[in-house]
Amino acid sequence: MIGGWIRTALDQQQRQSLAINASASMVAVLLLTLLSIIVFIIIRGSAYFWPLDINTITYTNAVEQSEFQEKQKAFAQVRAVSTRAPALRKSEDQELRFVDIEPEQSWLLSFIQNGQLTIKQSLLLEHQVHSVEKDLEVAELTLVNGNTLFVKPVAIKQPERAVRSAVAMQEARYEVGLLQRQVDGIRQQYLSPIHLRIADLDRLGVTEDAPARTKLSEQFFHYQKAIEQLQIKVDAYQLVVTDAEGNQAEMPLVDIQRITYPNQLSGLGKLWASITRIWVFISDEPKQANTAGGVFPALFGTILMVFLMTLIVTPFGVLAAIYLSEYAPNNTLTTALRIGVSNMAGVPSIVYGVFGLGFFVYAIGGSIDSVFYSNDLPSPTFGAPGLFWASLTMALLTLPVVVVATEEGLKRVPRGIRSSSYALGATKIETIWYTVLPIASPGIMTGIILAIARAAGEVAPLMLVGAVKFAPTLPVDGDFPFLHLDRQFMHLGVFIYDGAFHSQTDSKGSSMMFAACLLLLLCVFVLNLIAINLRSRLRKRYSQG
Amino acid sequence: MLNLFERDKLDLQQLSPEHTAINVDHLDLWFNNKQVLEDVCMRIPKNQITALIGQSGCGKSTLISSFNRMNDLIDGCRYKGSIEIDGRDINHPRENVARLRARVGMVFQRPNPFPMSIYDNVCYGLKLQGMSLRRALDDAVEQALRDAALWDEVKDRLFDSANILSGGQQQRLVFARALALQPEILLLDEPTSALDPLTTLYIEELMISLKKRCTVVIVTHNMQQAARVSDYTAFIHQGRLIEYADSDSLFTMPIKKQTEDYITGRYG
Repeated sequence: MIGGWIRTALDQQQRQSLAINASASMVAVLLLTLLSIIVFIIIRGSAYFWPLDINTITYTNAVEQSEFQEKQKAFAQVRAVSTRAPALRKSEDQELRFVDIEPEQSWLLSFIQNGQLTIKQSLLLEHQVHSVEKDLEVAELTLVNGNTLFVKPVAIKQPERAVRSAVAMQEARYEVGLLQRQVDGIRQQYLSPIHLRIADLDRLGVTEDAPARTKLSEQFFHYQKAIEQLQIKVDAYQLVVTDAEGNQAEMPLVDIQRITYPNQLSGLGKLWASITRIWVFISDEPKQANTAGGVFPALFGTILMVFLMTLIVTPFGVLAAIYLSEYAPNNTLTTALRIGVSNMAGVPSIVYGVFGLGFFVYAIGGSIDSVFYSNDLPSPTFGAPGLFWASLTMALLTLPVVVVATEEGLKRVPRGIRSSSYALGATKIETIWYTVLPIASPGIMTGIILAIARAAGEVAPLMLVGAVKFAPTLPVDGDFPFLHLDRQFMHLGVFIYDGAFHSQTDSKGSSMMFAACLLLLLCVFVLNLIAINLRSRLRKRYSQG
Repeated sequence: MLNLFERDKLDLQQLSPEHTAINVDHLDLWFNNKQVLEDVCMRIPKNQITALIGQSGCGKSTLISSFNRMNDLIDGCRYKGSIEIDGRDINHPRENVARLRARVGMVFQRPNPFPMSIYDNVCYGLKLQGMSLRRALDDAVEQALRDAALWDEVKDRLFDSANILSGGQQQRLVFARALALQPEILLLDEPTSALDPLTTLYIEELMISLKKRCTVVIVTHNMQQAARVSDYTAFIHQGRLIEYADSDSLFTMPIKKQTEDYITGRYG
């Protein structure tokens, strides 16, 4: 009906241009969607790193408007309530003394209450905020535990004297760092081995007054005392800070990870500050239940899992494809097998997750435990979700992609090349190994690229077979056998999933989620880029003609 | 009488075993149910060039491929009768096919160098034979490339990809690759049909120079070529060997009518 109408209404040329425009506009929509996804993620993700100014606001807690309100002052940062961007507009005279405020604005307020430093998020209506100012002296303190505070540092109390100059502050922080490192050194080098030995003795049932034990205890107390002395020295370094109302408080210098003065930063300085933050984000561990700190374990876990998955899936997939394409007889069973493999790609990933949990983790892992790790039972070693099972499940999930792509690549190898290889006295396996596989290698790489892209973004099956919200240890460390395949690991996808749940209650978590999203995107992009680069090299090397 | 132009002729029917390179005896060959070769009997003389001529699809390529069992790669290929090389039936079930193919080299119509360096292309067969000594390989590569008249053109870029060579160079490389194995028999399946006349000339000279070392069997559509280079010629029509004689007689005085029609271009 529509076709008929078009034919009557438009002439030949118009029909042509209609077809072109209709298809081109779809491409435009596609492009727009792609761009908006990328731009949105980049803007929201990078906003997490951009240091915001700290304002000094005067506000009242009471919601009703009245003459006799108790006004309070606090250092505050604007926080977006939802997806709305932070809104702080400059007044007309271009001075930041008074700021036009959104009707409702979420603020992160920092003040000192009874000598305690507190920070809280609160939603203030427009009339509750009386003035907004900027104080250059205000600093943003990032604590070791991941918290942030907005305070005005006044002085550093040292064991002997109090200093105020910035240089001296730096020196003091450096000294504290040295002392802290000594404490950590003693802990790691002496105390933890003693701990282990005492635990050994406990397990062997050695009595309290055995000579070996008393000796160990003496050593233990000796080092404990050394640490205590150092700790006292460390604690003597205190940072004196004030809040907006002038209340003073002291905090141990050792708790502070970073001090920045965002109000003093120029544009370039802010850029530098964001780069530092990006570095912290990439290299640090998550803190405060994944709402602060960095995502290093998640990034590491993602890359390691993808890497292991590639190592597993490549030989499996390639060998299977070689059999299917080169050796399998051309009959109904092979055709059915081929259709089955292609359909495996369409199985929902959660099904693979359930399969991995039921078969790999419980059945195979359980058997491994009962055979090889029976002393450790009932606590499971391989019978629990872990890195290896996750990689194996993902390998299974991406296997059809690799098989199909490899088969395509093998089919594309010219007949003449195979015949010449045979004619030179090569057997079938020699022909496949020396000529067919190298020529098919770009096709195999295509399969691996697709597999990587799929595996890096998958979340649901991973949560069943080994990825967790928070893993206390990395799967790789200095203890034998260095790569701990049985450990649970963190994954960026799971991290984002978790962050998305936090975001409903905590805006801090949400911005971290966007940043993690950006990182995952970059991570997949880089992994793909490496694989594509490898493929183009192979193509160049093994190209025909 | 002074005989300047007549070549020495061997009696093809009564060829003695020491002069026979390939002895085809009552060979029938089917692809699935289609009979491609029918009762072919021929003795191919040693150290001579034998050309197979005939129209497309007559089975000459199939015949030449059965000399190194390349037909095994095709599904549904059956045969009856025997092919003997050096008195051994090559179709015997216990024959080592890979070794046979190393002894009976083959060059195809289209140049198809492997996507590797020139050096590795020539080494390919040798390495498969288990030759791994670098110096021996170097010598063999140089000799094979000299034999194929390619050495001077590629000696400075042995480790470049073979794909950058021109078509004619590639085909000579393929010759070198086959010659590196020192084959007793060299099968050429229309080796010059994709090449320009000058390169064809090179290759023909090459073939003639190869006569000293090995037996050459060539399939060609080019009548002049067959007449120029070959000592003996066999005409095959619809799977049957129609006429098999020395080239001079076959091209000048064909006995069978079909042969005459074909070489004079009346059909085919």
